Amino acid sequence: MKEELNKILASAQQDIVQAKTLNDLVVLRSRFTGKKSILNGFMQKIGALPKEERPAFGQIVNEAKSKIEVILNTKETELKEREYENTLKKQKIDLTMPSRRIVRGALHPITKIWREVEDIFISLGFDVAEGPDIEDEFHNFDALNTPADHPARELSDTFYLENDVLLRTQTSTVQVRTMEKYKPPIRIISPGSCYRNENDASHSPMFHQVEALVVDEGITFADLRDMLNAFVKKMFGDDIESRFRPHFFPFTEPSAEIDIVCVKCKGKGCNVCKGSGWLEMGGAGMVDPNVFDMLGIDSEKYTGYAFGLGMDRIAMLKYKIPDMRMLFENDIRFLRQF
Amino acid sequence: MKISYKWLKQYIDFDLTPEELQEKLTFAGIEVEAVEKPGKELDQIIVAQIDEKKAHPGSDHLSICRVNNGEEVLQVICGAPNCAAGQKVAFAPIGTQFGDFKIQKSKLRGEVSFGMICSEKELGISENHDGIMVLPEDAPIGQSLASYLQLNDVCYDVEITPNRPDLLGIFGVARDLSALLHLPLKAPKIEIEETNEKIENHLALQNDAPDLCTRYVARMIKNVTVKESPEWLKQRLVSVGLRPINNVVDVTNFVMMEFGHPLHAFDYKLVQDHKIIVRRAATDEMYTALNEETYKLNNNDLVIADNQRAIALAGIIGGENSQISASTCNVVIEAANFLYSSIRKSALRLKLSTDSSYRFERDIADETTELVSRRAAQLILETAGGELLEGKLDSYPNPLAEKIIPLRRERVTKLLSIELTNNQIKDYLVPLGLKFVQEEGDTQYFIAPPYRKDLLREIDLIEEVMRLHGYNNVKTYLNIQNIMNRSEFYAKRKVADILVNNGFYEVKNWKFGDPEDLDKLKIPADDFRRQNAVLKNPLGNRFSIMQSMLLPNLLTNALFNINHGQKDLKLFELTKVFFRHEEKLATEKWQVSGLMAGAFSPKYWKENAVDTDFFDMKGVIEEILESLALTKIKFAESSESYFQPGMAADIFIRNKKVGNLGKLDPKVLESFDIEQAVYSFDLNLTDVFAFCQFADPVFRDIPKFPPVLRDLSFIISKDVKYEDIAKTIKAINPGIISQVELFDEYTGKNIPEGSHSLTFSVVFSSDTKTLTDEVVNKIFQNVINKLKQDFHIEMR
Repeated sequence: MKEELNKILASAQQDIVQAKTLNDLVVLRSRFTGKKSILNGFMQKIGALPKEERPAFGQIVNEAKSKIEVILNTKETELKEREYENTLKKQKIDLTMPSRRIVRGALHPITKIWREVEDIFISLGFDVAEGPDIEDEFHNFDALNTPADHPARELSDTFYLENDVLLRTQTSTVQVRTMEKYKPPIRIISPGSCYRNENDASHSPMFHQVEALVVDEGITFADLRDMLNAFVKKMFGDDIESRFRPHFFPFTEPSAEIDIVCVKCKGKGCNVCKGSGWLEMGGAGMVDPNVFDMLGIDSEKYTGYAFGLGMDRIAMLKYKIPDMRMLFENDIRFLRQF
Repeated sequence: MKISYKWLKQYIDFDLTPEELQEKLTFAGIEVEAVEKPGKELDQIIVAQIDEKKAHPGSDHLSICRVNNGEEVLQVICGAPNCAAGQKVAFAPIGTQFGDFKIQKSKLRGEVSFGMICSEKELGISENHDGIMVLPEDAPIGQSLASYLQLNDVCYDVEITPNRPDLLGIFGVARDLSALLHLPLKAPKIEIEETNEKIENHLALQNDAPDLCTRYVARMIKNVTVKESPEWLKQRLVSVGLRPINNVVDVTNFVMMEFGHPLHAFDYKLVQDHKIIVRRAATDEMYTALNEETYKLNNNDLVIADNQRAIALAGIIGGENSQISASTCNVVIEAANFLYSSIRKSALRLKLSTDSSYRFERDIADETTELVSRRAAQLILETAGGELLEGKLDSYPNPLAEKIIPLRRERVTKLLSIELTNNQIKDYLVPLGLKFVQEEGDTQYFIAPPYRKDLLREIDLIEEVMRLHGYNNVKTYLNIQNIMNRSEFYAKRKVADILVNNGFYEVKNWKFGDPEDLDKLKIPADDFRRQNAVLKNPLGNRFSIMQSMLLPNLLTNALFNINHGQKDLKLFELTKVFFRHEEKLATEKWQVSGLMAGAFSPKYWKENAVDTDFFDMKGVIEEILESLALTKIKFAESSESYFQPGMAADIFIRNKKVGNLGKLDPKVLESFDIEQAVYSFDLNLTDVFAFCQFADPVFRDIPKFPPVLRDLSFIISKDVKYEDIAKTIKAINPGIISQVELFDEYTGKNIPEGSHSLTFSVVFSSDTKTLTDEVVNKIFQNVINKLKQDFHIEMR
């Protein structure tokens, strides 16, 4: 009897070890330990035995059965592990194949600079003000200390519409509109489009400017220089100094033109700065008392400064764009770069 | 820390309501975290008289009392042995609320009781629960106990910042307030009478840890009578949330609350060999504290010991083995100071935070020990009798040296902007306890009092000057006014960002326009876009008006790119359009327009390229409008001249047209030399913003219950609009049907001509319950019935 059991055990072991798949194992499990298995059949014989031998017999059969189960379970674990590894192997990919991307567009480089300028000034306590592109002569000239017979009016070629209406030649018009509406203290910038009737390699009939206006008690020329220095350093970096040159604007006095150290050569002289080491960035000055008087602001109590910078020029300098016309061509091979 | 309004008033005679005082405290830098009225519960308790007492027939310890509350006489059952007829007692009528417990009419062994006669413990006045509280004979019947005991006080729970240990006592707070309110400070008079029996003959002191115990003062009183404290003392303690215990212990607690410096009292007979030794604990030394817990100490803990054992854990908690009890006859008063970091470490490690450790941890002053020692001696003599021995034992290894702090007037102005005279500065600082030494021109010299360890440098004094002057009394200069429309400013950015995130490139064109382009787009002569702002001196005909539409320039940009081999395009421009009719200046409006052409997304090797279509563009528009929190958006078929009929929609918000989108008519495109399909959109942002509330998003609860999904597939006539179907489904139960989504459309085999098969995914969810199949099935069946009835659908 025991011999027979050993034989079964041996054959079970042999078959199980050779099993290749989990399915094989299911079949083997039912053959050796299932309801209709050899071992179960063996157990049936218990009835034929004398009563006193039965418990010992039962124990032997059960031991054989649990041995087989251990072998089955070990094999099952092994096969499952192998199957898992195979699955993983099959899922292997070529990591160098192209990725899937959600394609984003881009803001126009001028908009990017525009936002950067706004954010710098907002961080410095300024509000952003707007005004119309189509203006009257009062806001574009008269209120800015440029009466009709003033020679300064000829400085700009102005686009005109019917009834003495024009396209603003500068965003200083927004200063005027703000001072009409608000009492000091005023701290605004006004970014926007301006127009001049000229069109060549270095002039566009429409261009973008940002103007700043600060009016309060105790505002001085030092504040103006501080603010411009702060802006230039935030925009172009700590190593870019700025300087003022005396100049003329009808609505500021003293007036100045602003130069910054050439962002390309850092002052050594190059093609961008035409060898001078400096780049012209815009105009600035202390608000002319006539402007205040015209707008009903007490020019003895309040002082203020204003400055204007070219947004397109900043974009071209920052992004090293060689030709102004590219800004308005809207070639997506260009736009994609920003 | 707790501060009592009445107690505070003992030291400074302010004329402030409790609310005003709270405000003053806050602006003195003492933040009031909570305000309690400790007498509030006792407001319900009434002074009453027991008119008559007789035994309860059903009990040998209960008695039946007739209690007179001033209005009526009630039967009350009482179990206290000390209750007797004629007594004035604290009576809790029916309805009295003690925390969670409410007095109700009840029956005790068959006799009804209409209330309760209270013990001191029940009233929270003391630990005494031996019997009912008996009030003096002159207590007026009918008065509330709170007002009789003058407990109608206000207790402030305040946060004392770690730099101000001098405020850990009520007197310290009073001192600060007196400086702030310019009111005199009434310090308690401390006068003590000593016998001529020298303390040295009875007690010895040995400080073996001068690094951890920076001062130790001991005084001794003989022949005290330990008993209940007098009423005034108990009231003070109760008013700041402390429980009275006995007169000696109560005095130490009172003085701690008064001056912020904790004290301890030992029973002299339990101090073995009558010697106090201050030493580090031995490693693994076991110590049983007053709270009956036993702690394992180590070499970093400081103990007060006698010759044999620790009798107190220094600065934290006294020992069980030496505590004051009814049998105490002679008392040793300890007033000491300990290294704050050592107390903090021990308290933290042993998880033992006490009123005492809370104060010692905050680096209180060595100097105050002498003061509180005398004050405690005075009050013990007053409340417990006895004789104070002559002198004191005092270990003070490193007395504090006085430091002179210079304060420059111009420095005050430089930092604070306020201009003060030397005298003004002095008047601020001296009431805080600073000693004025001298002045040299604009520099004054001060010595900070020992209890103000935070005042070391000029800047510390300047802070005090500012605090006394009042932070909010400084004149400010910067006056910022809002000029910009921040909401629209950022909304414009948001619109552009959404377009960029959807793959659009922003273009910038000159804002000029060409009237011929309007002709090509077949814009009718009477259309508002023909009301142009015309230039008198244009660059040329192509630039002769200010743009009234953005589409022509966008089409020019598209052509430019197509000609350069870029056929897959998503372009937008966000800028102004201009109209001029009879107005002097033009009307300027913000507009965003865009176009899409070619493939929707770049070719990807895993899937086939799909050309852009109407719904791609509609999605972008919906995203923009939803991001602006706009609702009531409608798309309706457009009759715009340049769109292909049936392939374009006008966009409405609350029935106002704000834009359009659609497929451009191929013939129109041809006139712009474009041969591929182009879709475009227009949104008038000025008009759109007019509908925007620009409100911040408001949090909504995340759904707590899982949603249930059901699919619904049916054949329906193509004449029925999707939107009507979706609305009809949702309307069946808008509270529960949270989402209706189309996920498949099918035409062809087995579907009749003119019909299509639609499959919807319907989401059911509830904020209040998990939805059962039964509920969902019912609603779902209603949906089917309604669709059958309205649209004659055929289920698949």
